[in-house]
Amino acid sequence: MTELSLPLVLEITVRTLLVCGAALLVSLGLGLPLGIWLGRWRFRGRVLGISLVNSGMGAPPVVVGLVVSLLLWRSGPLGWLDLMYSPAAMVLAQVVIALPLVVGITLAAAGALDEDWELQARTLGIPSARRLWLLVREIRLGLLAAVIAALGGILSEVGAVLAVGGNLAGETRMLTTAVLMYTQMGEFELALVMAGVLVGMTLLLAGLLTVVQQGGRS
Amino acid sequence: MSPAAEAALCARDLLVRRVSRASVFELRIDSLELQRGSVLAVLGPNGAGKSTLLRTLAGLERPLRGRSERRVDGPVTMVFQRPIAFSGSVAHNLRVALSGLRLRRAERTARVEEALEHFGIGRLASRRAATLSGGELRRLALARAFALRPAVLLLDEPFDDLDPGGQESLSLDLRNAIASTGVAVAVVTHDLRRALLLCDRIAVLLEGRLAQEGERDEVLSRPNSLEVAQLVGMSNLIEGVLRSGGAEGEPGVSRVEVDAQHQLPALTRLAPGTRVWAGVRPERLKVDVGRGEGLPIGKGRVRAVLSDGVAVTVQISWAGRELRTHLLAGRGLARTVAPGDSVTLSVRPEDVHLIPRDG
Repeated sequence: MTELSLPLVLEITVRTLLVCGAALLVSLGLGLPLGIWLGRWRFRGRVLGISLVNSGMGAPPVVVGLVVSLLLWRSGPLGWLDLMYSPAAMVLAQVVIALPLVVGITLAAAGALDEDWELQARTLGIPSARRLWLLVREIRLGLLAAVIAALGGILSEVGAVLAVGGNLAGETRMLTTAVLMYTQMGEFELALVMAGVLVGMTLLLAGLLTVVQQGGRS
Repeated sequence: MSPAAEAALCARDLLVRRVSRASVFELRIDSLELQRGSVLAVLGPNGAGKSTLLRTLAGLERPLRGRSERRVDGPVTMVFQRPIAFSGSVAHNLRVALSGLRLRRAERTARVEEALEHFGIGRLASRRAATLSGGELRRLALARAFALRPAVLLLDEPFDDLDPGGQESLSLDLRNAIASTGVAVAVVTHDLRRALLLCDRIAVLLEGRLAQEGERDEVLSRPNSLEVAQLVGMSNLIEGVLRSGGAEGEPGVSRVEVDAQHQLPALTRLAPGTRVWAGVRPERLKVDVGRGEGLPIGKGRVRAVLSDGVAVTVQISWAGRELRTHLLAGRGLARTVAPGDSVTLSVRPEDVHLIPRDG
């Protein structure tokens, strides 16, 4: 029987924050530009790209875990990276889950802008870097929705991180995998504490982002 | 074109092609100039290529051939049919537009205030652009464009969705702004009357080709084809045959025979026997209960009278055709004319424009 201790809860919480934070940053770094590109530019294959994004938004996390495992497995195409059962593997799996959410919501927000928006900005002689900043500012409510959705998806995800992380104590154990494990072991006190921290963290972060988002509306 | 006119933007040998699944559209312009301090109204039916022309002149549409070239210092800017505001305040919208010019803060502020005042929205400077009405949004878009002190301004349907009062007030502000800045303007509009309030010159586009371009009054009174005549409001178009044309080199008054009983006077160099469309602008067709001004062309019967409070349109049957004339509301005959009245029609020979029907 595992003893409930503050260091244990802190260690798992900090790891969860680091892994989820890294996954969120990577998802946003890749997803926001990709979403804006798909939302604003017309090119051959765009509809196919949007279809893939929409399909990815509904991908079952456990299947994502399986696919990432196959890629990272020692005999897999990325096996040489030796990432299996590491925090980096969990970050990768979470990115695969969150990226379609970020791209999908961003492209919907960018696509809702008037078709002539860029042309109007161009004819006013606004430099391209400034135009991009203005565009981000125009769709900031949608972008924050993308961040909230990605954060929620990453924090609540368990199937994929369990598959590629292995829930190794002191190495890849996260709040979600810990809740699952302690529940299966019948250690409900520990499971409830971990679940409480997870829910509290989700509410706090999503709440903060919502305050920022709604502040931007007024 | 007046000799002093200075070209601000010249388009030469333009070819723009738009391919869709259903069709291929080509815009071909051999030559078009926008002059400093002058407003060119681009008229044409839907799909004639008016907006495509404007976007090409703005550099937003890449032509397959030819190019448009700016001849004076200053930017070329465009205001779109649906005015687009950036999020933030009204003043922020103007500051953003000026961000590419690297102005000192004081000059930027002065330009913002000046442009907002010019278009009567100075009191809205700190208001969020998203809360503006349609008319205020149009004024913002125009103020933002003028703040740049453009050399060329391209306006796509600037009066769309405005009520008559708003259109008139915006026309006056726009006219003043154009006069005070000397900007070259091209305006696309489907509203001929509104275009006439602004423009000095008219270009008519038909199926992607420049059908006619010239001084406003020249195009209005001397359209070069039936299609152009209809587009520029020459609604009285009567088929006839020219009789006893003027002597060669010395035009005299000729007759257009409409039928055995009806004829119109005209000044022309066309040969007798030519089949023509005789065009008379409604405001040039005189109607009176007495003798009337100009040469009388016979009696007509009033079919309908329509008034918008400013002008009265009178529809009259003459020689089996429906003619129209405009009267000023509340004045003279306009106060008493009624359907069924018999009236005398007259027209001056110089107000009858002939368009050959063959070839």
